[in-house]
Amino acid sequence: MEQVIEKKGIIFKIKRFSIHDGPGIRTSVFLKGCPLNCIWCHSPEGISQNISIWYNSNLCIGCGQCVKACPNVALELISGANNQINIDRELCNISGDCVRICPTNSIQFTGSVTDVSGIMSEVEKDILYFQKSGGGVTLTGGEPLSQPEFSAGILKECRKRNIHTAIETSLFCGKNAIDLVSDNVDLFLIDLKISDSAAHRVYTGKGNEIIRGNFHYLARQGKNIIVRIPLIKNITDTENNINAITQFVAETRKDIMIEKISYNPLAENNYRKLGIPFLL
Amino acid sequence: MRMTEKFQKLNPTLRIQVLRQKTLSSERYLSLEQAKIITRVYQENEDIPVILKRAKALAQSLMEMPIAIDPQELIVGNRTPDIRAGVVFPEAGISWLGNELGSLPDRPQDPFNVRQEDIICFREIIEPFWQGKTLEDDIYRSFGEQISEIEKVVKINQKDHAQGHISPKTEDWLRYGPSGLLKIAEDKLSIATDDQKNFYESVSVTLRAACKFIKRYSVLASELAEDQAEVSIKHNLKEISGICEKLSENPPSTFREALQSVWFLFVILHMESNASSFSPGRMDQYLYPFYISDLNSGKIDYTEALELIDSLFIKFNHIVYMRNLHSAKYFAGFPIGFNITIGGQKKNWDDATNELSYLILKAQDHIRFPQPNLTARLHKGSPDEFLNECSRVIGLGTGMPQIANDESIMPALESAGISNDDSSDYALVGCVELSTQGNFLGWSDAAMFNLVKVLELTLNDGKCMLTSKQIGLNTGYLHDYSEFRDLETAYQKQIDFFVHKMIEACEVVEKCHQVHLPSPFLSSVIDDCIMRGTDVTAGGAKYNLSGIQAIQVANVADSLAVLRKLVFKEKSIEKEHFLNELLNNFQDNEPLRQKCINHSPKYGNDIAWVDETGNEWIEYFAGRLKMYRNLRGGAYHMGLYTVSAHVPMGLNVGATPDGRLAQTPLADGGLSPMYGRDRNGPTAVLNSVKRINSRIASNGTLLNMKFLPSLFDSETDREKFTSLLKSFTALPVHHVQFNVITNEELIKAKADPESYRDLTIRVAGYTAYFTELAGDLQDEIIKRTTHGTGY
Repeated sequence: MEQVIEKKGIIFKIKRFSIHDGPGIRTSVFLKGCPLNCIWCHSPEGISQNISIWYNSNLCIGCGQCVKACPNVALELISGANNQINIDRELCNISGDCVRICPTNSIQFTGSVTDVSGIMSEVEKDILYFQKSGGGVTLTGGEPLSQPEFSAGILKECRKRNIHTAIETSLFCGKNAIDLVSDNVDLFLIDLKISDSAAHRVYTGKGNEIIRGNFHYLARQGKNIIVRIPLIKNITDTENNINAITQFVAETRKDIMIEKISYNPLAENNYRKLGIPFLL
Repeated sequence: MRMTEKFQKLNPTLRIQVLRQKTLSSERYLSLEQAKIITRVYQENEDIPVILKRAKALAQSLMEMPIAIDPQELIVGNRTPDIRAGVVFPEAGISWLGNELGSLPDRPQDPFNVRQEDIICFREIIEPFWQGKTLEDDIYRSFGEQISEIEKVVKINQKDHAQGHISPKTEDWLRYGPSGLLKIAEDKLSIATDDQKNFYESVSVTLRAACKFIKRYSVLASELAEDQAEVSIKHNLKEISGICEKLSENPPSTFREALQSVWFLFVILHMESNASSFSPGRMDQYLYPFYISDLNSGKIDYTEALELIDSLFIKFNHIVYMRNLHSAKYFAGFPIGFNITIGGQKKNWDDATNELSYLILKAQDHIRFPQPNLTARLHKGSPDEFLNECSRVIGLGTGMPQIANDESIMPALESAGISNDDSSDYALVGCVELSTQGNFLGWSDAAMFNLVKVLELTLNDGKCMLTSKQIGLNTGYLHDYSEFRDLETAYQKQIDFFVHKMIEACEVVEKCHQVHLPSPFLSSVIDDCIMRGTDVTAGGAKYNLSGIQAIQVANVADSLAVLRKLVFKEKSIEKEHFLNELLNNFQDNEPLRQKCINHSPKYGNDIAWVDETGNEWIEYFAGRLKMYRNLRGGAYHMGLYTVSAHVPMGLNVGATPDGRLAQTPLADGGLSPMYGRDRNGPTAVLNSVKRINSRIASNGTLLNMKFLPSLFDSETDREKFTSLLKSFTALPVHHVQFNVITNEELIKAKADPESYRDLTIRVAGYTAYFTELAGDLQDEIIKRTTHGTGY
């Protein structure tokens, strides 16, 4: 039987000294893959579960070594332009030769496959700071519940080490995913975006019935929950929407706090790095 | 009521605001008054022992120097009538002033006005008399050549000024006053052996004059009071007169008298020697009995006490240290190292924090001047309230208080031979140098040893990469080393070679100090000088160490990591080619430089093997120092701090394997990672730093960390910062200081992203690396954070 610690998953970032995703000083683990496709998503590299490459032109010195290294001739050096390297994503088969040779790390994979023990060895580095600050680990993404077994494995190992755990989720997932993790989660950070299901479908690609259902399901279990509303201008930040979400939460359970999260203006840059259009 | 709540609403009084403003707007002048007195005394007493000359010169200065009182000030006294004057002590060395006198008013950094008559006086009286007679002249005559032979590797300090970085026994000064100390010295003189007589005589001369100096302020205040119509000012002047009258004959008994007495001690120390950093040490401890007694008897309340502390804080900015042009660039803004240490533990390990600790923090909040340098000692039992208040004041952006960690420092001092009792009473002196109080001549900054330069020489057969001059041993070139350990062996040999030469130079410098700058007044407040009848420069202190700084662990670790990984192990960079590229300063090979930066892990990212590589060489260096004793019989010990010398030290070093370009600055601070190379956040930095064995760095260490003011905006965020401080006391790291960054720096960060990659910023609901933000967003943030800046 496969040990928990060997369970594999895909992540796109681990961030230490993360101080705005739950109490205290935390390490946030960003799991790759999300069933929603919010047009404002600030981590577009976390949406797909496939690993591709992305390119940060700010760091690039235009040396062209990647162009020579690519076995598929997918890269082109454009002299004089702002974006020195053009990536033909049709031709790219993610061989990774460009990533390995790039001296500035301008070209990188958008994620990596790792196992629970790999995550834990990063997490354990900051146990002292968790203890002193009342912090711990936050699973975020992407949507961590799109990799429920991997998430459950990490959470279980954290629990073994007495590390406080939080999970940031949209709750767009099956109930079984929730059941897999919920025993080992100390705090659910639940993103509720849009109250109206039709509008939810327009902006995130999916209706919100599943989310509402899961929210009830989880809230009734008495779990520790904080609701977070991302404030997107004229989409989620309208008075109507915020009131409706507030009312929905209050009707479900009285003691759930709501935090409003200001929009992340970093996002556009991330789209640029991925070479995909930013629609917001 | 919690103390912070009690003090929260206290604003600086009008008096303090006015005094503060006056200090800011005062013009600075060169002052030769004391130089003239010293010159005259030396001329008139050519045949007496130097220690007596020094004593008489100080005594005459104390009795003759013009003095002034600002009628509004509560604490009086200065070494010159003008505030912030540039004072010259010719016996230590004046060659720089001879060269720079003309440009002093116009130099870009720290200019001083010069009066025409002073130019004449300097050229006609001072310069001719001292020609060939100074400490500096003597050092250069006897060892100048050897010192310059090694100057690219070793910077020998204290060649033209007196040794500072000393925390006097302020507690005894307050207990006995100068009159009481005089009595002790006179008693000793009456039973002294022949070789002690001059010492005790000199001490007595200076203490007698100290009493008279204080008395002069009493007389002046009383005269000024006569002419003063305004009642409250008249009253203040009369009070000053009474206090000074009393202090000229007796020790202080009230809080105000004690503060005034402390200030006189530091003024007189600065009149004896123009040294950097006489540090007041643990003020909240030795002043507490005075404070509590006044408070209990109703003589004073805490608002009045705070106004007095505010006054003293301003006073610390009235004495500046005029440096030469070169030095002023790197120690810009007259750092003089009045380091006050608060908090920490008592001798029985109980927490020592008291109401004064909080009032002193509040004074820092009020005054926000460069001086004093404020240090908070933390330990595992430090109260949360104290930690919180430290965080709040750090968030104001003055970089203070800096944090010293008892849990790490006390064991380090004990391994350097300091007793348990004394180590628990440590204070920081100057910047980050460790010292016990009142019994310690640590000779901090005896020399700075550039380990990065020695590595450069090791790769190039002992030849300087910038000048091709042979300055080290012929140990071979990079391509001559077939294994990494061959390179290590060669590096050891080069280090040994320069350490030996450095120690020889340090001995000469110390010897010359003993000859030229005995310091009888200072000796009266350093145990056990009076007991032993020995001047502090001659080894009279209970503890006699010499501090040597190892420069700079980050560049050594990062460079050796590149060599080990990319050159020797993976062989993806060819040796001879690499050496040529280093010699060429990576010209036309930016990709190779980028590879060095990005394809080999760096110190500061919590990667054990790189950090341990750095530590190996720090341990090796400290071990070599241990093989020597200084002239006073004490040990050489290591410091890991540069303050700002990483800039000039970097100028001496060619391109390094870590991707650093020739002549650019080395890593800052001492233990800090190379700027921009630490990319895993502050906890990773701390974890790397803790792998460097601070236990052997008993001279002190320095770690800079940078945070944005927005981290201090909300109570919740500030609590996280406080918990970082709490974590710090669980790490074996001595010191950390925090830059809460200003707009100017952000603008620089925008222009030079490589150097600022580690800078994190709160963007919206999250934190990001500033340099990864798009330009327009950076601009927006620059605008947004203006309110968060310090002063």
